[in-house]
Amino acid sequence: MAPKFEIEDLNAWFGSKHVLKNINMKIEENAVTAIIGPSGCGKTTLIRCLNRMHEITPGARISGKVLFNRVNIYGNGIDPVMIRRKIGMVFQKPNPFPMMSVYDNVAAGLKLNGIRDKKNLDEVVRRSLELANLWDEVKDDLNKSGASLSGGQQQRLCIARALAVEPEVLLMDEPCSALDPIATAKIEALIRKLAENYTVVIVTHNMQQAARVSDYTAFLYLGELIEYGPTKQIFENPKHELTERYLTGEFG
Amino acid sequence: MSRIIDSGLEELSATLHKMGELAYRAVLAAIIECVENKQVYSEICEISDALVLMADNVEDKAFELIARFQPVASDLRTIKSYMKIAYDFARFGRYALDVSYTNQKLGGIGNCDAWMISHVKEMGEKALKMINLSITSLRSHDAQLAEKVAQTEREIDKMYFDFLNKLIERADTTTKCAISSVLIVRYLERIADHVTYICESIIYIATGRKVVLR
Repeated sequence: MAPKFEIEDLNAWFGSKHVLKNINMKIEENAVTAIIGPSGCGKTTLIRCLNRMHEITPGARISGKVLFNRVNIYGNGIDPVMIRRKIGMVFQKPNPFPMMSVYDNVAAGLKLNGIRDKKNLDEVVRRSLELANLWDEVKDDLNKSGASLSGGQQQRLCIARALAVEPEVLLMDEPCSALDPIATAKIEALIRKLAENYTVVIVTHNMQQAARVSDYTAFLYLGELIEYGPTKQIFENPKHELTERYLTGEFG
Repeated sequence: MSRIIDSGLEELSATLHKMGELAYRAVLAAIIECVENKQVYSEICEISDALVLMADNVEDKAFELIARFQPVASDLRTIKSYMKIAYDFARFGRYALDVSYTNQKLGGIGNCDAWMISHVKEMGEKALKMINLSITSLRSHDAQLAEKVAQTEREIDKMYFDFLNKLIERADTTTKCAISSVLIVRYLERIADHVTYICESIIYIATGRKVVLR
């Protein structure tokens, strides 16, 4: 099986600030890869480079390659909007469209792409909400506002919205940090389920979350990839002294 | 700044150290009983019971640390290994008790041939030395020392088989002496095995390598 992403000599900057330094890593398909590391180490920047969101920030730039299904997403003639459709993103704070209903939140991406057929939309909305483990909780009132849901439900709504446009990859940036333990457990279970058919890359400050949900873990420090390997190995027997110190809380 | 998990790990380490010393005392008493015909069964019994209790306490404390701190990396390896080592130390107490029991029930080897007594004495001294060194290497998680200690286990193994062969060749001893001595050297050989397990655990804590030293 070919890896989903092959990151080659990736460097990223905000203006003159060099935030990612020569990152080389492969991300496996249909697996969960966790990115961990202290604040400011470049975790978020790294996943934002995977769907060309980094360049949205003024003054931000990159060098190097990100091969997605063997094609460099920074190559000539690549449409970043197309890339972001295939590689969805879920953010730290649940951000459903507050003025839209649950239904419209999920259907928004499709409607933007010109799909108007009601039957088709109904089907996708239902399938996406089911996939996101939210359907049973909202099916009786799909017209209520997305903002009226609980935090955990809102986050699953955002996941359903991302899934509606049939991506291949979900990037998740601290998806549970604003949620209580029960909502967190639901999202984590969902992540495991999604990994059967999607490639998931998750940034998390919660090391135990990385240990629970991921198949592979990457440790970033000061913009460099210090250690990357199977999660079992990283958490039981890290090879690098810095990883050991970060995991055991002996940093700083 | 020390981490809040550290006080728990230190508590475990201190308990293990105490266990090591008690285990040493039990084995020492059992060997002296063999060669000098002393009666120390009840003393060893007390130590053995205490060791079992302490091993339970180590397990409870280790569980608490896992539940409260979700340790990883070297912390996790340490806790897992400490649980195993506590069990090994408890086994020393049990084997010392078995030696003492043999002395009590079968009359021991104090009145057997001199070569038997000196063989047991020599094996016992080697085992005690191993226990001592394993306690030292445990205290500082010294993998190199642990690896060295385990080498002595091979010598004890050899002494065990030498003893059996010699006993078969000579065949001029009483059944009582033969049975007592065989049981006792067997227990000593098992003690050396458990020292080796401890050394393997120390190497695992220090390096993450899973080795078999036997």
